[in-house]
Amino acid sequence: MLRLINISRKLGDFALKDINLEVSDGQYYVLLGRSGSGKTQLLELIAGLGHPDTGKIILDNEDITKRRIQDRRVGIVFQDYAVFPHMTVFGNIAYPLKLRNEPKKSIAEKVEKAANAMNINHILERNPEKLSGGELQRVALARTLITSPRLLLLDESLSSLDTSLKDDLKRLLRNLNKSGQTIIHVTHDYGDAISLAKRVGVIHNGRIIQDGSVDEVFNNPANRFVARYAGIRNFFKVNIVHENGLSFGVTEHNIRFKLNGVSAENNSLLLVKSDAITISNQEHEGKDLNTIKGKVSEIIPSEFGLEVTIDAGDLFFVNISASDRQKLCLAEGNRVWVNFNQKDIVVINGT
Amino acid sequence: MRKNSIFTWIVILLSSLVLLFILAPLAGMFIHTGKAEFLETIKDKEVHQSVWLTLWVSFAATLLFSIGAVPFAWLLARKKFPVKNFVQGIIDLPIVLPHTAAGIALLGFISRDGFLGKIASFLGINLVNHPAGIALAMAFVSLPFLINASRDGFAAVPERLEKAALNLGASHTKVFFTISLPLAWRSIITGFVMMFARGMSEFGAVVIIAYHPMIAPVLIYERFSSYGLNYARPASVFFILVALLFLIGLRLLSLKRKEKYINTDAQTD
Repeated sequence: MLRLINISRKLGDFALKDINLEVSDGQYYVLLGRSGSGKTQLLELIAGLGHPDTGKIILDNEDITKRRIQDRRVGIVFQDYAVFPHMTVFGNIAYPLKLRNEPKKSIAEKVEKAANAMNINHILERNPEKLSGGELQRVALARTLITSPRLLLLDESLSSLDTSLKDDLKRLLRNLNKSGQTIIHVTHDYGDAISLAKRVGVIHNGRIIQDGSVDEVFNNPANRFVARYAGIRNFFKVNIVHENGLSFGVTEHNIRFKLNGVSAENNSLLLVKSDAITISNQEHEGKDLNTIKGKVSEIIPSEFGLEVTIDAGDLFFVNISASDRQKLCLAEGNRVWVNFNQKDIVVINGT
Repeated sequence: MRKNSIFTWIVILLSSLVLLFILAPLAGMFIHTGKAEFLETIKDKEVHQSVWLTLWVSFAATLLFSIGAVPFAWLLARKKFPVKNFVQGIIDLPIVLPHTAAGIALLGFISRDGFLGKIASFLGINLVNHPAGIALAMAFVSLPFLINASRDGFAAVPERLEKAALNLGASHTKVFFTISLPLAWRSIITGFVMMFARGMSEFGAVVIIAYHPMIAPVLIYERFSSYGLNYARPASVFFILVALLFLIGLRLLSLKRKEKYINTDAQTD
């Protein structure tokens, strides 16, 4: 198990602040953050490529905060693979074994085994310049895994791969994790986090601002930043009003959200997921249903089909399919209603 | 388009003039050297000894000083320290110093009364008028070429590769010898060749330290001042040809090594 206790590190104008984190054995932990959020710096501290100003790094009940990088048995795979260009694939994978002066026969056997596991045994004699991004990534993984690391750190390992290579590598990483390898994977890609993580943390400006299971983090984002990562684009800052025993959140543009039974304060942020919203040509009635009138201002293709922007004073973003569009005879300029249940509203207080 | 074309022609013309300025005196020297005089010079034992001395002393000086200069270049490329710019300035100093002044400064250091001279005397060597003294003079003026080229070579090696090697269990020494040095090799060889060539052509500093034994530039000067241009010319041609052969040989060797390495910048930046 890895435990980070109150880790802080100042790097020029940027600082990692009070990082506390626990990653249990066999965990696939994804640390999500934008570039410049401090996620790579944190990985490098865990690997031993830098030392924290304060705090402790505990791995398997040993304090490794000041331990030499060579003695930590924490493997890191860099975003750019860092495959040695002056060595063949074999030379790269064999590099850590040669450092330990292992016999040639043993090196050959271990390299072959690692290459088989990564499905790169056919490129062992090639030079890195002739390899694709996916192959380079597998070489870097094989080279790190051959050292039997207690912890595998992946720095944006999928970010420069195309979709099909990405899927192959995700499968490989999932299998690796299933076989017991503890993995910490930093990425800016929410999709990677959803498809790989057992547990996810969100890092922003050098702080981990939320940590939990994938469901916990993405269904109950702690703030606007995390919500954006969860693909939520419908944000509304509201003040709370009470009328006839009912609570409403009212936006600056006077849109009223029913908030019965929901605990909310003034200046709260209401989030509604795009796929929780439906569009209709008529007004719907319902005790818990929010129905808001607006005008279709834009319809654009999206990864979910079509994204419809509806201007109701504030903007709503709704995902629909092409057949939904046909059924609704939806066109830009149409008057429509957006409908969503109040249970689909997430409230973030104190923004 | 037309403007660009005229501009290109003007650039070509100016470039040709510069090239001509370099080649014309050399070509003139080759043309004005008679075959008989040249063949006689080739057979001249004094010329042989002088050219050979120049080559091996410059090569030895480059090789010996590279033991310290290459790690120094790595230090400049990789480490931050408070007086780094000042140190960089000191390295470039021999380039701007008048070489005779450099020779005078060095003479004070290596003469029998000087610090290094005393140590050498203790070992039974008088550095003045000795190949070792010549090597020191050559190195003094040519070291910046090796250090600067090597420093640029180390700086171009992505740090990520060194970090990856450390993470795989390599010590800092292993990282230097298995990652940094092989990847910066191309620039180091270039610096090596430049230092060797610059050392070989040095006259000002060497003539102060050692008139005898005569290195080729001193021999050429001596022949010119004692017998005139016609006597100095064949020795100059011979020295230039031998030096060129040596340099081309070294370049070819380094090119062979170059092919083994690839440019890592595109992958790792």
